[in-house]
Amino acid sequence: MENTHSAPAVVPVNTVSCIPLGSKMSKAKKVIEEAREINNPELDLFDKGISTFEEMPGLLNMLNITRITLSHNKIKDVPPGLANLTNLEILNLANNHIEELPLSLSSLPKLRILNLSMNRLNGLPRGFGAFPVLEVLDLTYNNLNENSLPGNFFMIETLRALYLSDNDFEYLPPDIKNLKNLQILALRENDLIELPKEIGELSRLRELHVQGNRLTILPPEIGNLDMASNKSVFKFEGNDWVTPIRDQLQLGIGHLMDYLKSETYRVLYNRFSTNKPKIPNSCIDKSKKVSRIR
Amino acid sequence: MPIFKDESPPIPTVGEVADSFLLKRRSQTKEQILSSTYHRYDSYDNVALDNIDENSVPKFIPKNNLTRLTNMSRDNMICSKCGEGFEPQEKIVNSTGQLWHQQCFVCAQCFREFRDGVFYEFDGRKYCEHDFQVLFAPCCNKCGEFIIGRVIKAMNASWHPNCFRCEMCSEELADTGFIKNGGRALCHECNAKVKARGLGKYICHKCHAMIDDQPLKFRGEVYHPYHFNCTTCGVELDSNAREVRNRSGFAKNDMNELYCLRCHDKMGVPICGACRRPIEERVVTALGKHWHVEHFACAKCEKPFFGHRHYEKKGLAYCETHYHQLFGNLCFVCNQVINGDVFTALNKAWCVHHFACSICDQKMNQKTKFYECDLKPACKKCYEKFPTEFRRRLRRQHEASHKKATTPVPS
Ligand SMILES: [Zn+2]
Ligand SMILES: [Zn+2]
Ligand SMILES: [Zn+2]
Ligand SMILES: [Zn+2]
Ligand SMILES: [Zn+2]
Ligand SMILES: [Zn+2]
Ligand SMILES: [Zn+2]
Ligand SMILES: [Zn+2]
Repeated sequence: MENTHSAPAVVPVNTVSCIPLGSKMSKAKKVIEEAREINNPELDLFDKGISTFEEMPGLLNMLNITRITLSHNKIKDVPPGLANLTNLEILNLANNHIEELPLSLSSLPKLRILNLSMNRLNGLPRGFGAFPVLEVLDLTYNNLNENSLPGNFFMIETLRALYLSDNDFEYLPPDIKNLKNLQILALRENDLIELPKEIGELSRLRELHVQGNRLTILPPEIGNLDMASNKSVFKFEGNDWVTPIRDQLQLGIGHLMDYLKSETYRVLYNRFSTNKPKIPNSCIDKSKKVSRIR
Repeated sequence: MPIFKDESPPIPTVGEVADSFLLKRRSQTKEQILSSTYHRYDSYDNVALDNIDENSVPKFIPKNNLTRLTNMSRDNMICSKCGEGFEPQEKIVNSTGQLWHQQCFVCAQCFREFRDGVFYEFDGRKYCEHDFQVLFAPCCNKCGEFIIGRVIKAMNASWHPNCFRCEMCSEELADTGFIKNGGRALCHECNAKVKARGLGKYICHKCHAMIDDQPLKFRGEVYHPYHFNCTTCGVELDSNAREVRNRSGFAKNDMNELYCLRCHDKMGVPICGACRRPIEERVVTALGKHWHVEHFACAKCEKPFFGHRHYEKKGLAYCETHYHQLFGNLCFVCNQVINGDVFTALNKAWCVHHFACSICDQKMNQKTKFYECDLKPACKKCYEKFPTEFRRRLRRQHEASHKKATTPVPS
């Protein structure tokens, strides 16, 4: 650090910064070379200090690769050429600095699991919903909201799990009903003011996370879901539920589900729909979210 | 042979094979070959043409005939062509009892001498081979070549005998006759097959007659069952007879044998666990029983597996969907039914290969401590790399829902 102040430096600044980078680079390279030698289709490249794909020469030509784990790096840009890896089934980019994704990503023909949690995504590319076989999509802890989703986002019919927690959704598009195979929907700590009644059409849903939002009422259709079974989880804490719902939740999910289906609640819900309860303020301070760092 | 009433529509009409023999090959003695003036002549006999009488048959004059002629008086000899007499030393051509000057014994068309002495005669005129073919020889409807020798007149065309064949099986038809069926010339057998097919019946591969009752399939052909006897007891077979595949191989059906039903059942052929009938084709062995491929089905939806994966539970087999629906756990990562050890935690299940941290994808075991975020496991190392702000909120969330990090329960 002292060197940078006393210019001209004895050792050029870029050389100084190159030493640690260079050693990390060789680590990533080593992993890739080893994988190539033994024809290992799975690449573990997490926490290697990687900031660009250029530090992993030849990676985009390793067509046999089925999994790449690049979590805990500093990657900002995902090259479109990643879509060449047509055998890729699992792509884990958790905890990086990604702000934008290439359009080509959704053409990966075998991609089943995509982890983009803890990045800096403000939007998703056009046509993002074109993934042919995507089953698990993790977008936790980004800067997404209902306006940053591309039109075909809810066309990923093969999706089993959708993680949208720690984003900025106030509303969830009713198109969510197209995700017929959805079993897990995580919306924890968004700014959700209400849930669409279409969630009630997700008949296979068995995990619903809505903690830490600004919800007050629930559409009666939620009562259609099998949330009371011992195979299901409904997480609801940290919302500003109206008293009748809060009371039922105290008694248990089973009670809530029965109540949502009742005629009493239907009447109450209709009353609430015409005379909306006051929208609570956002209860979570997200200003310090790392994903917002520009 | 059974008597059956032929109720087929009268499509086939029997056509004629018109054979015309212009020339029959003469048997040639050694002497003739040696003495023949036109020694190549015989190799060109058998010229066949339609409507030609014996008179137009070209003939050869043996040399000794000519020799004899030289001893005769030349005074009353005249050339058949020009009517002039012959000079004393002049060579006289004698053919079919007539005499010519050598320069008069030429092709009626091109006026050239006959090459190698070979000529063809038609209507009293003589032609060289080339002109004869051009003028009179028929062309084969199949190969387009001139037909020298036997001509087959059929289907309004001419054919070389070995060019006129059944359009289905390519058998030569010249000597067997043929049947015109829908514009095609067919042999009797193929015609019968076509006819039988039209009636939804088979033709016996042995006697070529139509099979009215149940046919017997054997080594890939169909037969009247009564042509065969049981390999074991020798009884005449009926259509219940069983074809038994060669045990060691599978593709070679020429090793197959036929048995009557009784002997067959005594041979220990596997019996289907569903329909109780013997299995001659592919056998599926599962659940300690044998099954017809099409009878081995899901106990819940009853759809046959047809080689797809099946799952066994308490003596019953299930398709993947129903096994999972009724008993199973699908691995959260590979989404396959878990056979063997199951990791259950966080409202999910994992197969042994896929129980891993959701952030670094490193495998975990039942001893690994992990943290939870939206019911996804994160190993300690990964959790510690989460943004501090995020961790703080997760911790608060946890406290709110009174949940603790759990260790998976292996089962
Ligand atoms: Zn001529
Ligand atoms: Zn021919
Ligand atoms: Zn034929
Ligand atoms: Zn027969
Ligand atoms: Zn059967
Ligand atoms: Zn089934
Ligand atoms: Zn698995
Ligand atoms: Zn981890």
